[in-house]
Amino acid sequence: MKTALYTTLALATVTLVIGGCSNLERSRDIGNPQVQGKTLAMQVCSNCHSMDGNSVNPNFPKLAGQQPDYLVAQLKYFRGHNRADPEGSEYMWGIARKLTDEQISGLAAYFSEQKDAPNVAGDPALVATGKAIYENGIPKEQVAACAGCHGQAGKGSGTFPRLAGQHKDYMIKQLYVLSQTNQRPAGAMMTSLVHGLTPHDMVAVTTYLQGVVLQ
Amino acid sequence: MITTFVRRHVLKVRRLLPALTALILLGAWSSPTFALPAFARQTGQNCLACHAGGQFPELTPYGRLFKLTGYTLGSRSIPLSVMAVLDYTNVRNTKDSTGVKDTTDFYKNGKSIFDVGSVFLAGKVTDNLGVFAQATYAQYDHQKDNGDWVGHLSADNSELRYADRFISPGNDLIVGAFANNNPSMQDVWNSSAAWSYPYVGPTFALGAPAAPLLDGGLAQNSVGAGVYAYWNKSVYGEFSLYKTANGPFGFLHPYDSSQISKIKDGAPYWRLAYTKDFGPHSIMVGTSGLVAKIHEGTDFLASDASLPTDRYRDYGVDAQYQYILDPHTVTAHISYIHENVKWGDQAGLGYDNASDTLKELKIKGAYVYNAKYGASLAYQQTTGSTDAGLYGGPAEITGNLNNSPDTTAWVPEVFWTPVQYLRIGAQYWHYTKFNGAGSNYNGYGRSASDNDTLFIYAWGAY
Repeated sequence: MKTALYTTLALATVTLVIGGCSNLERSRDIGNPQVQGKTLAMQVCSNCHSMDGNSVNPNFPKLAGQQPDYLVAQLKYFRGHNRADPEGSEYMWGIARKLTDEQISGLAAYFSEQKDAPNVAGDPALVATGKAIYENGIPKEQVAACAGCHGQAGKGSGTFPRLAGQHKDYMIKQLYVLSQTNQRPAGAMMTSLVHGLTPHDMVAVTTYLQGVVLQ
Repeated sequence: MITTFVRRHVLKVRRLLPALTALILLGAWSSPTFALPAFARQTGQNCLACHAGGQFPELTPYGRLFKLTGYTLGSRSIPLSVMAVLDYTNVRNTKDSTGVKDTTDFYKNGKSIFDVGSVFLAGKVTDNLGVFAQATYAQYDHQKDNGDWVGHLSADNSELRYADRFISPGNDLIVGAFANNNPSMQDVWNSSAAWSYPYVGPTFALGAPAAPLLDGGLAQNSVGAGVYAYWNKSVYGEFSLYKTANGPFGFLHPYDSSQISKIKDGAPYWRLAYTKDFGPHSIMVGTSGLVAKIHEGTDFLASDASLPTDRYRDYGVDAQYQYILDPHTVTAHISYIHENVKWGDQAGLGYDNASDTLKELKIKGAYVYNAKYGASLAYQQTTGSTDAGLYGGPAEITGNLNNSPDTTAWVPEVFWTPVQYLRIGAQYWHYTKFNGAGSNYNGYGRSASDNDTLFIYAWGAY
């Protein structure tokens, strides 16, 4: 038993000493500009967003296949405290605070290249209602057609985010943030466009979008 | 008994995560979003990133990965934190059978006290190395010969951890090594002994007359090292060995050396767990065990290693469930530990049995809304073999007429987290059985419910 104890202690000591070395390839240092964006994506971001960008918990948005320009913009907003929705800022202000532009580009490239994993399709009636809102808006409530900016298939474009396959719960929360707060100033144009959505409309359109699979 | 209970619960408090005042002194109070202990300053994140519903010390999946990767996520910052607990304890009946108040077991009953305060050195050292070191000042640490209580600063839960993470498409392997002074301190689930409920509890109140060695028996009086691996966020395995915290590790034990267990050779501790996250749900089922031979006699400084040894075999199974989707947090924990102790010198100890068993069941569920308002309900049951030599004898207050460790308590709690680094809560410990009986457990007419205890606390960390 004594031998086993000392062997374990010795092994532990050696590994602790080895641990003194820097490790750029597998670093979790969000304050070191030398760490590649891809490394941070795998070592840090994956904790919530998953290694392939398909987050498991809908508290965290899926990043797989997201528009890279949108990802760059959001990371810079978090870094500059220009996006303050609580669920985002509580996690992301700290993570993004020291990222360099180069790291942000690397992170955006990594996640945008990941393949989106499809969600389970929602209730067909809700999907049908949501699809109609997405494609046509609700003219009498002055709700614009989402497809106008986010694309017919919900793929997004530039800084307009991809919505296809996104977590429903995450999108509902963002619709509330965009329609009722000024916590996302860069999305201010959304306020008037979605203000006429009822809670049921929000559930419907997000139920539709979370089930959209891009080819 | 009071010593055991006090120690157990003071140690529980000490195990608890980070606390309040240092940054105030450093002038950082003005940044509420980042008003956090050392780890939060390192990551720049809110407490609730790592603590489920902000309910420290319960860890979220993210918090578990932060710990498993060696406290290294983030960038170096001031690695200091402080913590303090102010509390109020009121035991339902503090009088003995003659109507005289027991001011020893129930010292400070009905009064508010500053209970414990801690300082932490915690954070990233290198890309692979992190530290969590705690020292705690207990206002009522021990008693002098004349019975006066004395405050004392002692080493508390402390750990040095190395970790690396090999991650590639389809493969995520975290491996690490640690050295610490409490078997299960390294654990990341709150059904483990070191981090289980109650996270804070009364110092001067009565509790079960015994707890398994695995549940705190070697906390802060042993030192050990181990290795672990966590694969694809699903399978976790760990093995470690512990020895007495003496010699160069003597600074890691508390003031009262009679509380130190003198472990023969090394005591192995192991842990296996399976975890699965799906949607906002996260589950863990696991098992752990500790086998130790501990020399009889109370003074660990004694050089005589020929004293007989008691052999402890503790095996546990546990599970945890979490639902975390803003603004709701639901957590549930269950643990069961079975202990068998074979006494080395039964005759000398005066025990009835050559070996005794002890079983401890803990169940707890909690709900937190918006990381501010929470409520929990816990059930704790201790059962075991009867042994007059070990437990027995009628006596005032703490007597054990039935020679039994059987004790059952229900513990409802409500709490409020007005700001992320401060929690205010109230617990009520309701005993349906105490020392083997609901009524007249001590042979002097005392009921289990006479030990019901109201405990109110303010627990801050910074």
